[in-house]
Amino acid sequence: MKYSYVKPRKKTPFTPEFQLIIIFFGISISMLMTTYIFLLYKNYTFEKDKMRIVNERLALQKDIELLNTKIAYIQKQKALAEKIYTNNTVLRDSIANLFDLVPERITLSKAQLLKNGLILYGITPNKDVYNFMLQAPLRSIFQKTYTSFYPAKNGWLHFVSKNYMEDDTTDDEELTNED
Amino acid sequence: MKINITRHHIYMITVSVILFLFVILFSFLVLIPEGKEYRQKRLALKKEFKEYYKYENYHDETVAKYKELQSKNRHIITAFDSIFNPQRFQKQHKNYFSSLILSKLNREKDEDSFAVYEVNTTSKISSPTNFYDFLDAVNKSDWIIGVNFPIDFQRDGEMIKSSFTMKVYANNKDKNSTKSGSKAK
Repeated sequence: MKYSYVKPRKKTPFTPEFQLIIIFFGISISMLMTTYIFLLYKNYTFEKDKMRIVNERLALQKDIELLNTKIAYIQKQKALAEKIYTNNTVLRDSIANLFDLVPERITLSKAQLLKNGLILYGITPNKDVYNFMLQAPLRSIFQKTYTSFYPAKNGWLHFVSKNYMEDDTTDDEELTNED
Repeated sequence: MKINITRHHIYMITVSVILFLFVILFSFLVLIPEGKEYRQKRLALKKEFKEYYKYENYHDETVAKYKELQSKNRHIITAFDSIFNPQRFQKQHKNYFSSLILSKLNREKDEDSFAVYEVNTTSKISSPTNFYDFLDAVNKSDWIIGVNFPIDFQRDGEMIKSSFTMKVYANNKDKNSTKSGSKAK
């Protein structure tokens, strides 16, 4: 039996008020979640980038150390090479000076250049020529000078002049043996 | 006065309170600590970048210095790397002598961690000038060579017989193999 002609309205728990509440909280929670996911993602990338940067920095550090070692080695090579080149140049000048020192009237037959000394063998017209023209300059260079003379066939004098620097110790023995 | 609250309203209030509590708790317990961590990590990364750029600049400067040294001292570096070849040496320097004889190369005690080889030389020159020119040429040769005492000069007719010792310096391959063989970044 029908009591009303109006069709009954269907009842639902999702009333407009309830829908409003759900939408409001839905939007709020989704915003919070988005922020949370963003933060999670950023923290992950920060951590990853930091690891990468630290590794790259360590690699750079290693490379710098290696480069510094190479630089030090090249500088060492350069220093040694320059020392050797200078020694060669000094040696050339010393030999040139030695030959310039010998006057025309004296003829050398042998010259031995030692680390701290000089031995000259030669022939001189007389002792005075030797003493004034060769021994005097030799004395100004070397602290110890020993000369011995013996006559040559043509009336001139053979001489052996041994000249040493003050700190000469080792070569002395070597020279004595050679004599 | 009677307040008429329907069951539906009670459900709505309960759901609202639960959702509100969730939002509050989530914000304070999860979101804010995560935000703090974000700020700290961002600062740490910024600091790390700053440090990295400092190292990068220093590295660039070091590379530039290394390359400059390398290019300025190319001859010396190559000379230290070269193995002494007596035949080539004789060929390069025979112009200064009438005859040039080199003895066998002997390994000497290392100097400053460099390998040292000694070679005795006997030669004949027509004038001391040849010897001076030879000493100049030695400084430009393919090896690092030091002419050493004792040096003997002896008259031999119209020629001068000379004998001297040369020290050849080279990289110590055992110790410096990594140094000489490596390249800059």
